[in-house]
Amino acid sequence: MISAAQSDRIDWEAALVQRARNGDMRAFERLYREHIGRIYGLCLRLTRDPAAAEDCAQETFINAWRGLKNFETRSAFGTWLHRIAVNVALARRRRPAWTVEPLPDAEEPEEPEWTLDTPVEVSEIEAAVGALPDGARDVLVLCGIYGYSHGEASEMLGVAEGTCKAQLHRARALLRRKLYPEGSP
Amino acid sequence: MSEPHSPQPAARKVTSLRDLPLEIAPPRDLWPELERRLVAGGAGRRRWPQLPALRPRYFAAAAGLVAAVGVGILIGRGLLPSVGGDIATHPTASLVVPASFISDPRYLRDRAELLKSLNARLAELPPQSRQKVLASLATIHQSMRDIQAALGREPGNALLQELLVDTYQDEMRVLTTVQEASAGSGET
Repeated sequence: MISAAQSDRIDWEAALVQRARNGDMRAFERLYREHIGRIYGLCLRLTRDPAAAEDCAQETFINAWRGLKNFETRSAFGTWLHRIAVNVALARRRRPAWTVEPLPDAEEPEEPEWTLDTPVEVSEIEAAVGALPDGARDVLVLCGIYGYSHGEASEMLGVAEGTCKAQLHRARALLRRKLYPEGSP
Repeated sequence: MSEPHSPQPAARKVTSLRDLPLEIAPPRDLWPELERRLVAGGAGRRRWPQLPALRPRYFAAAAGLVAAVGVGILIGRGLLPSVGGDIATHPTASLVVPASFISDPRYLRDRAELLKSLNARLAELPPQSRQKVLASLATIHQSMRDIQAALGREPGNALLQELLVDTYQDEMRVLTTVQEASAGSGET
């Protein structure tokens, strides 16, 4: 359920989007400032390189400005930006990292939130996530950190949902191995 | 590729990936460069919509518009936090444009030119229309002062910032309408 505060924010954001669509650069700046943290965070996690993440974030907002007329105001502006950011980040890679066999639906139950065995320092998790192979990291970032469903993540990444699940399964196994090298505590 | 960037070096411990920060501030403000690229790429568009040239018979409609803007502003002011005391203690607060989001050089130039020629334009309007324009502008300028005073107390209030930008846009709409109406009267 959307809270009153969220609803106000969405209305306010929709007004800014409408003004930006009419060419109001200041309204677009407001949208930029509202979303740059999430977009840069996503780009940083996908690229693992602060300089590349800056380029990726800028490219995201340039593409967004150019594509505003195509934006469906019924959907969330933030999610739309995330889709653009994922596209930009993936396009920067030389070749796709999707060599994992799709996992049949029944083999990987949907886990909305994966809990670690013991508390781990944020910096340690970030480093472990950053060390994952590209494909596994993409899914873990989108599903595990940003909370997208397999369906949404697979659509953003342009892969089958089964592949997405397989990559998440792989990512979690690799992450667990990295965080707990001597087995679960 | 550089070393994986660790965005939050703090020793905070978490048990879920969902507890990781979703927002990470970039090391520098990317907007100035981004804005340059948008403008250089031809993506920048006029901020203020062009109104069709107005003829004298549209004076009434123009006056109606500025009156409507004035009423809208009055309603908007009703949403503001109480700022009466601040206004009373700063009766001569100037109508400068302090907010960074209203600092577009093109906007400032257009506004200055319109304000400079306002008196001459007003002189060309019928007295009744002139009074309505002046009343609307007075309301708008008072609203600007109210909002700026409220922003002085709550500089991070997004709603107030939005309201201030809207008010400046309302002012520009009135100034543009007066200019168009005046130009229209000169055509006939």
